[in-house]
Amino acid sequence: MIAFGSSISGGEAYRRYAEPGIRLAAEPDSEVFAFAAVEPIARTYNLLLEAAAAREDLEALALVHPHTEIVDPQFCAKVRTALADPEVGVVGCAGARRVHSIAWWEGDVVRANVRQRYEEYGGGEIESVSWAQRQPPPGEVQALDGQLLVLSPWAVRNVRFDETLLLGHGFDLDFSLQVRAAGRKLMVADLHVSHHRSLELISDLEVWIEAHIRMAEKWSGTLDDVPADDAGWKRRARRAEARREAARAIAMSESLKLDARVLELEQEFKQKTGTTSWRLTAPLRALNQLRRERSEGRREA
Amino acid sequence: MIAFGSSITEPDVYQRCAEPGIRRAAESDSEIRAMAAIGSIFSSYNALLDEFAEREDLEALVLVHQDAEIVDTDFCATVRGALADPEVGLVGCVGAIGVRSIAWWEASVTCASFINRYDEHGGGDLPSFSWAWNDAPAYARVGEVETLDGFVLVLSPWVVRNIRFDEQLGEFHGYDLDLCLQVREAGRKVMTADFRAIHYRQLDMVPDPEPWVDAHVKLADKWDGRMGIGTGAGSWRDRALRAEADAEAALMLAHMNSLESDARVLDLQRALVETTESISWRITAPLRWLHRTAPNRRRPELTPRSLSKSLTSAETP
Repeated sequence: MIAFGSSISGGEAYRRYAEPGIRLAAEPDSEVFAFAAVEPIARTYNLLLEAAAAREDLEALALVHPHTEIVDPQFCAKVRTALADPEVGVVGCAGARRVHSIAWWEGDVVRANVRQRYEEYGGGEIESVSWAQRQPPPGEVQALDGQLLVLSPWAVRNVRFDETLLLGHGFDLDFSLQVRAAGRKLMVADLHVSHHRSLELISDLEVWIEAHIRMAEKWSGTLDDVPADDAGWKRRARRAEARREAARAIAMSESLKLDARVLELEQEFKQKTGTTSWRLTAPLRALNQLRRERSEGRREA
Repeated sequence: MIAFGSSITEPDVYQRCAEPGIRRAAESDSEIRAMAAIGSIFSSYNALLDEFAEREDLEALVLVHQDAEIVDTDFCATVRGALADPEVGLVGCVGAIGVRSIAWWEASVTCASFINRYDEHGGGDLPSFSWAWNDAPAYARVGEVETLDGFVLVLSPWVVRNIRFDEQLGEFHGYDLDLCLQVREAGRKVMTADFRAIHYRQLDMVPDPEPWVDAHVKLADKWDGRMGIGTGAGSWRDRALRAEADAEAALMLAHMNSLESDARVLDLQRALVETTESISWRITAPLRWLHRTAPNRRRPELTPRSLSKSLTSAETP
């Protein structure tokens, strides 16, 4: 039996995204564990693991983020194939190799068909982690993206999310590293997923930075080489501070480029809609709009 | 005599940007040395310093990037005013205090009287905060600073004769901060003055991150806490972990900016397509065609200049 679990902090997101996806993917005997979120997220996920672990017929537990929609009718079959190798502990739809921090996407990304759907600027869809060079699945990775984690029965019964990680970021990397430390593999499989989220990837950047530091401290020696002495730390600090300032300059440049691109298009738009002919035909468009609205109103009635 | 010098790697850029500004600013006795680069900017600028060091009539040497244009016609008077204090070694129009690295813009910038003029996306201007003093924020002021942006640097005769750019530091990045540090360590002042310039450059602030990072590290190692360079809060371990986290947070911001850019552009492109594919756009196409192809006499320019011309001719009997 392949079970599904979700930690629900906002009922609306689960109803709109995760639930239809689970319905699409689930088999008749699948059990769905939809639990109200308890802080931190690791606590709810451990509750889900406890519930699923009790099922002797468990083949896998898919932990689905409320904003994640599985759009793959072959989901269960693909999960079974990926977990056929008993060495595989967890399967996901995205992850990376050569990961050095909670920013796993800065490593060598392996990603299935994962789309990000946003609502800003009239809405749209882009590829997830679109900025990264990506390898297609299947592929073994060092860390998996927590938006979808499919755990083997062994992982469900033997590994737990770290509830001391209170900041909400990096729980997926931590779980990935635990699974690997226990000798099991992490795989990205060709699981098709849509992630419904804002273009603002992280809203609490300061908290994210703290989580980054905590995780670096916890997994020091696994995620990085630990300098032997203070001189080594000094060298590392020097380079890190230089990279930080370069990264900030890059972020600022991206922002400037955004403004320039938008300004160019806005000018073009203004030029087009500022013509006499466009202004002359404004009443026609207003009438047309009114007609459309009335017709939609009648349909809704 | 106020001299001007440039190190040139792209002659057409010099002719388009620096040369008009130098001609605008220079006095009749000014010497202008437009020199082909002889290696790094450190070496090229040192060659210029060597050339002018022996000139007894030297009042100042102005080093101008090939892509920088001085705007002010009274530039030389401003320079003389700033260098009237014999303690002043360097003068610029962009400067900062609290500087800890070559990323001077991460410090407290006190003066930024320049425009970044870019070519991308149809081109445009990004005026910095003290380009127009009327709109400048409360922290904008001219006065003593720790470092200057090197795109236009004014050197006193004392600096020309006594200080040299450190050629060990690399090819380009950090030459200006290091010069400012040397001058200040020698007891002279670094000042901003009230002149303006245009910097013709792309929007990428650090188009070559690796050499930039190397220069950052080299300069921090060279000064190693002296004059505040390379200092920071906490142990080296704390600093390393925080900087690594900050760097990835900044990269994330860059990714977010890039995603937002794509989304906004897509939204505007959709609006443009909706406009140009609408019925009203299509039915008015002949009008726009007529407008484009009509002879000029049917389209009088309504600029103030043409208006005044037509008024003048109307008054003429």
